[in-house]
Amino acid sequence: MIEMRHVNKYFGKKQVLYDINLQIEKGERTVIIGPSGSGKSTLLRCMNLLEAIEEGEMYYKQDLVQGKESKKRIRQELGMVFQRFNLFPHLTAIENVMEAPIWVKKKNKETAKRKAEELLTTVGLSERFDFYPSNLSGGQQQRVAIARALAMEPELMLFDEPTSALDPELVGEVLNVMTHLAKNGMSMVVVTHEMGFANEVADRVIFMDQGRIVEDGTPEQVLRNPQHERTNTFLSRILA
Amino acid sequence: MGLDFSVLTPFIPALVEGAWMTIQISFLSLVIGLVLAILGAFSKLSPIFILRKITEFYVWVFRGTPLLVQLFIIYFGIPQLGVQFTPFQAAVLGLSLNTGAYATEIVRSALQAVDKGQYEAAAALGMSKPLAMYRIIGPQALKILVPAMVNQFVMTVKNSSMVSLLTITELFRTGESIITSTFHSLEVYLIIAAIYLVITSVLMFIASRLEKGMRVYD
Repeated sequence: MIEMRHVNKYFGKKQVLYDINLQIEKGERTVIIGPSGSGKSTLLRCMNLLEAIEEGEMYYKQDLVQGKESKKRIRQELGMVFQRFNLFPHLTAIENVMEAPIWVKKKNKETAKRKAEELLTTVGLSERFDFYPSNLSGGQQQRVAIARALAMEPELMLFDEPTSALDPELVGEVLNVMTHLAKNGMSMVVVTHEMGFANEVADRVIFMDQGRIVEDGTPEQVLRNPQHERTNTFLSRILA
Repeated sequence: MGLDFSVLTPFIPALVEGAWMTIQISFLSLVIGLVLAILGAFSKLSPIFILRKITEFYVWVFRGTPLLVQLFIIYFGIPQLGVQFTPFQAAVLGLSLNTGAYATEIVRSALQAVDKGQYEAAAALGMSKPLAMYRIIGPQALKILVPAMVNQFVMTVKNSSMVSLLTITELFRTGESIITSTFHSLEVYLIIAAIYLVITSVLMFIASRLEKGMRVYD
């Protein structure tokens, strides 16, 4: 579905991704782990073109990604959940979820509303339709954000450290929603530090360090039987 | 001695007329200034180099020189190049350009004050830039800019007294002419000040209602 070939990425003079070759298939649940600054978020953000790729190529469903049209298509077909939720503060929970279906997909208001109610109920927020984000807890906000992304009926969901900005006691409710999604067959790429989630949900784990993909395999291979010393060091540090 | 406001009774129609002229000039300048400010802000944030430079130059000149000098150049200076404005046109032009320069910075900083994550979230949902501006960024920027913009608008109303020097019989000049026939300077200036205060208060009242209306989501 997404393929990257020899992708390099720079922030100014500093190189942050080195020769990334990667294929993401539909139906896969991929978890990307690695120390902070390893480029994992940047890699994820390259997938829906929030970051430009300076060198190398990206293919989306076999088509070379270039120009405005492919950008538009990718963003409509991939959902994104951010570390800091990024809900629209001037809209209520349900309005946040209805916004893109109405304005981007030109759905009529009634249809969008019914769908939004359904989605918010799925993520456990049936009592919070008309709340503004400022009146919701972090965990609730992130669940609204997940519902907002799902409302566009994405083929793949990108999660950029979705629980890193949450108080520890709120992490579980968000991971539950994500696990539920995964079990229902949603394709996803998740950047996270939650090893439990990786273990339970992922069918593929990628370990990144210093802008490079160091290890790429099943959770069994990467988490329990890593081939590289760096993976070992990282895992022992994070599991300690 | 003492204050005697009754001498002003015959001049009430003149005062009303003067106030009306002040309101017209201010209102037109506010509207045009706001349009200039929105254009200016987008130019300043645009990727097009020349557009940015032109706007920077405009803001630099109109913020860095006295309004009075700007008005005199427009009304008394430019005719030398063969273009003659009526006093009313010159007044509105000068005040609009002046307001626009200050307001450009207000709009620009409000747009930049909206969290970057909002732009990203809108983009990730497939919104085009204009759509994101209209639905997501604009409403949030508006809320940020209202207090500063109201200040600017109040300044414009007060600054409009300067256009009396372009022979426009607005509120201040009306007062001057009443003084020449009554010699009651203090009463007249007090009344004039009070009328300005009423106009600016109405403006601030409208603004505070507007702000309250937008505060629902805090």
